[in-house]
Amino acid sequence: MNELLLGAFGALLVLGAGATILEHDPYKKIISLSVLIAGIIPFIVDRGLLDVATAVALIAPLSTIFILMAVRRATP
Amino acid sequence: MPGDVESILIAAIISWILFVSIDLLFGLPKTGGVSGAREIAGEIEREGGSLHGGYMMGNIVCSPDASAGTLLAACGVYIAGIPGGLAAAVLVYVGNRICYDRGYAGTTGALAATFLIYGFTTIGFSAAHFIAGMVIAILTIQGISHTHASRLLSRLWGWRT
Amino acid sequence: MEDITTQEIAILVCVSIGVISAVRVIAERNTMKKLPFLNVLSFAIAGSLALLLPDPLTILAAAAYFVGTTLESNAIASSYAGGPKNDE
Repeated sequence: MNELLLGAFGALLVLGAGATILEHDPYKKIISLSVLIAGIIPFIVDRGLLDVATAVALIAPLSTIFILMAVRRATP
Repeated sequence: MPGDVESILIAAIISWILFVSIDLLFGLPKTGGVSGAREIAGEIEREGGSLHGGYMMGNIVCSPDASAGTLLAACGVYIAGIPGGLAAAVLVYVGNRICYDRGYAGTTGALAATFLIYGFTTIGFSAAHFIAGMVIAILTIQGISHTHASRLLSRLWGWRT
Repeated sequence: MEDITTQEIAILVCVSIGVISAVRVIAERNTMKKLPFLNVLSFAIAGSLALLLPDPLTILAAAAYFVGTTLESNAIASSYAGGPKNDE
C-alpha cells in the first residue's frame, strides 16, 4: 500500500471518528460510525488477514443492530 | 487498444446500462421492498425528486441488487476468472436472502455480468476497468444529485411500462 | 508516475470516489439522504478490497463487507421509519 492510499483510508478513519464525536442525533452517530468501519477494513485486508476482515465485516453490522435497539428505546 | 482512462469510461457506460436495465426488468422502481426503502423514497420526493426513481434508489440501498451483483462479479472475474464470478453470484444470493429480499435481480445481474465481463476481457479490457467503472456508475446514480437521478430513473420506468 | 499500472489507476479511482462520498455523508444534514452516499462509500471500499489483495478469499471478504453494510443500512432505515413492525 503506497502513501497515497494510506492517507486516503486514514482520512476516512479520521473523518468517521470526528463526525461520530461531533454529531448529536443518535442515528447520525451510527451512520458516522459505519464510515469509520469502512476505513478500518482495508488496513486489515492489506496485511493479509482476510479471515479477520470477514469476521469484522460481519460483526460490525450486528453490533449496530444491537445499538439500534437501545436507540429506539431511548427515543420512542 | 484504448488507454486505461478510456477503458474505464467505456466500462462505466456498459455497466450502467447493464445494471439499470436489469433493475428495470425486475421492476425495482415499482414499490419499496421494505419500509426503509419507502422512507428514503418519500424523503427524496419531499426534496423535489420523483417517487418511482426514489423507490429504486431505496431498494439499491436496502438490499444487494443488480448493481452489487455487477460489482462483486467484476471482483470475482478479476481474481479468479469465471469460477470467481459464479462464487460471487452465490454470495449475492445468500446476501439477498439475509436482507428479506427474493434475490433474483442480484443473482441475475451477477450471472449476466460474469459472462459479459469475461467476454470483454478477451478483447483487451481488464476486469479492474470494470470494478472502477461500476463504482463510477453507482456514483452517477446515488452520489451526484438525488433529485435529477430519481427523475431520470422515473422517466426510464415510464418508458418500460 | 511514468509506469502506473491498470490496477493502480483503478484503485485510485475507487479510493478518490470513496473519500468524496465520505465527505458528502458527513456534510449532508438529512438523516435518510445520508444513506445513498454511504452506499457509494461501501461500493468503493468493496471494489478497492478486491484490487488491494487479489486472493480467492478476498471475494468472500468483499461480499461479507458489502452484505454487512447493506444490512446495516437496511436496519437503520427501517428503524428510522418506525421499526420492522411496519413491514407487511
